[in-house]
Amino acid sequence: MLKQFLIPFLLLVSSVGVFGQGKFIAKNAYISFYSSTPMEDIFGESNEAVTILDSENGEIIFQGIMTTFHFKRALMEEHFNENYMESTKFPKTKFKGKIEGFTKDMLKAPVANIKITGVLNVHGVDKTITVPGTLGLQDGKLVAGSKFKVIPEDYGITIPSLVRDKIGKEMEVTVKVNYVPFAQ
Amino acid sequence: MKIRTILLIILFLFLAGIGIGLKMFFKPHADVNQTDSAYKVKATAILAEFQKDENAATAKYSEKTIEIEGKLVAKNKLPNGTDLLILENEMEGISCQLDSSWATANQSEIKSLETGKPITIKGICKGYLMEIKVSPAVVVK
Repeated sequence: MLKQFLIPFLLLVSSVGVFGQGKFIAKNAYISFYSSTPMEDIFGESNEAVTILDSENGEIIFQGIMTTFHFKRALMEEHFNENYMESTKFPKTKFKGKIEGFTKDMLKAPVANIKITGVLNVHGVDKTITVPGTLGLQDGKLVAGSKFKVIPEDYGITIPSLVRDKIGKEMEVTVKVNYVPFAQ
Repeated sequence: MKIRTILLIILFLFLAGIGIGLKMFFKPHADVNQTDSAYKVKATAILAEFQKDENAATAKYSEKTIEIEGKLVAKNKLPNGTDLLILENEMEGISCQLDSSWATANQSEIKSLETGKPITIKGICKGYLMEIKVSPAVVVK
């Protein structure tokens, strides 16, 4: 009688344990974006994005708070939050995607190129994107990175025509992550 | 004579405009060390507020200078050299990135900070993402 309940129970507990070990986290992931303009380069960076990588299925989640992006000039930061991103209305940016052709070996191999497809949410607008990236071990630690371009208008960000020509059509986004095992 | 006065006034307004424009353009970032805190809270109390109702707490604290008293549980350096202090809980606590110019001037004070001891920090609250993000921050005591 006891065995009947105990064995399924133990199996359940152990499977939960395995599942919990299968995740990697970074609470201070780096995200920057850059656009060159004739007057001045626009460059903002944040060290405060949170990301979780599920080693069971290769799912990656990112979240960032818009106001954590820092700029060289206070005025740029103000314009970024108030005029373009409307950070009070849309405080966070999110990405949820999957590594294409994911296998667990990718987490034990040296850094290699990968492709990630998922939904990026900026300024409250969802858009499916496929971006190139890198993933693998560097000095025994799991690192990931990506560099891709986004067009502000795709996310409903309106840039006044007066300054539209002065801001590059595309923004280059750079992501750098040092993952650590997520002990749950 | 009159035209001259008008031209002078226009010139003056023009220069004043350029001056104000330049001042705005080169406006420095707010110095968190010099700003008064809008709220003084205990770390456990503000964590409870965010966990209970994130939206309400974000509306209340986001972009405000707050003073937080709590227990230091971790002291790290980010890859770019930023000093990071974590209060109460390493995974789901309060993460404070120290102001870089303040940190440069106060390295010995940062070195002397011990984990497990009480600490009071002051910084700008950025909201909640698994933990409360505060940056830039300075150590009050």
